[in-house]
Amino acid sequence: MAVFTVKNENVQGKAVALDDLILTKDYPTAAGSKMLEGFMSLFDAEVVPRLQNAGYGIAGKVNVGEFSLDVLGETSHFGANRDQNGNLVSALSESIKTENAFACLCTDSNGTPRRAAALSGLCYIKPTYATVSRYGLVACVCSGETVGVMAKTADGCAEILSVIAGHDDKDGTSLPQNMIDSAKNADPICKVAVISSFMNGLSADMSEKVNASLASLRANGIEIEEIDDSVLPLAQPAWNTLSAAELCNNISRFDGVKYGYRTANYKNIEELYTNSRTEAFGLLTKMQLLYGSEVLSTENYMPVYDKALRMRRVLCAHFSELFASYDAIVLPACSQTAYVETDTDTAYNESLYTAPASICGLPVAAFGGIQIIGKAFSDYALLSLVKKTEGGAAQ
Amino acid sequence: MDACQMQRLEQLNRVALTEEEREKALAFFASRFADMEKCNAVDTENTERMVHIFALENVLRADEKKKIFSREDLLKGAPEQTDGYWQVPRLLE
Repeated sequence: MAVFTVKNENVQGKAVALDDLILTKDYPTAAGSKMLEGFMSLFDAEVVPRLQNAGYGIAGKVNVGEFSLDVLGETSHFGANRDQNGNLVSALSESIKTENAFACLCTDSNGTPRRAAALSGLCYIKPTYATVSRYGLVACVCSGETVGVMAKTADGCAEILSVIAGHDDKDGTSLPQNMIDSAKNADPICKVAVISSFMNGLSADMSEKVNASLASLRANGIEIEEIDDSVLPLAQPAWNTLSAAELCNNISRFDGVKYGYRTANYKNIEELYTNSRTEAFGLLTKMQLLYGSEVLSTENYMPVYDKALRMRRVLCAHFSELFASYDAIVLPACSQTAYVETDTDTAYNESLYTAPASICGLPVAAFGGIQIIGKAFSDYALLSLVKKTEGGAAQ
Repeated sequence: MDACQMQRLEQLNRVALTEEEREKALAFFASRFADMEKCNAVDTENTERMVHIFALENVLRADEKKKIFSREDLLKGAPEQTDGYWQVPRLLE
């Protein structure tokens, strides 16, 4: 499978790749799904003209897992990207490592770009929710998804983030410009907490990678304390419940009528709907949308969906308590350094590490096997911290 | 949840699983619901639900008619179309 689903061979300006959940009117957008194979949007996502107006060129569209439900792209209808040993290799990071792009814009709802950067020696920033416009994304998990930036260095991420961040009237959740600008004046990060319970399930080589990055932080004068925490792991089921419910609603629009895939096998409208969706969605997408539908049912709405919404407030309040003592929280980005076989539980299992920042919309910098979760609007402070370690962190 | 209930859920969502997939989906559901049970260790009775991460203000715009896309443009992605309309099978026999 190619890294790009569409590649621009005549890039004008510094090239930035876009993941295939970002709508473009000049290139097809498939979101990794057979449902949208060949789909041409009538408009560009807001981040596209922001890049172009600043003189950047579009390197092409990068293959993604179907609707971001993946570990490292393996659920894409267009196939997984693997190295010669059969290990999954994210197309997001490959777009940069193969020198086809200076940076890659990545939609982050379940942490795939964080895993990709942390395992490939690149740097990635998931910005504070609603500081980068979501207008023109293939909507999957609206209440938490953000457009992040991956690049070789922290400076590269900061350069592109400063171009795409900003208020957008077209996005109803977009924050006011003065709040977005406050990210440029955040206090530096000096003291971080590592949550010990998250370190228990790591493979030996992942543990080594994480410890090397922690050593690099220490060597650069960062104070690190190891603490135990029983609340943050609960972000995993809560975020998965909210994600599934939102995905179920968002992809209900795909019915084989107005655009997208239509089955050839139908005799009436019911068969057209059902067969189009059955043939076009992958198994994980089907299971996740069914789970989302079930948690929104009369029986489960209050004990499951409503509970997850309340847990989001508990988790945000808990982060605030942690940030009273620490400038940032460090978690592993994932449990392993390499993935060969995955099943329909693997992406969920890996979301243990990525869900806490996703459900609370917090900024995260990922590199060298770890993610550093900061307070809202500490985006550039996180990147400054990563910059200090560059050259010393595990690659 | 059993296989019959899952099948009903499939019908509501306009997707169909094979028997083997349905077995996997039942295990998937059991695992997700069991994990959500862990959240019950936290008392949230007096906690307000949090739909949006940041408090949102209603965004209003002028109530002006605007033509964004032409009918022709909107039909460009249609799997089937006839005489400027999306085409679907006959709804009434």
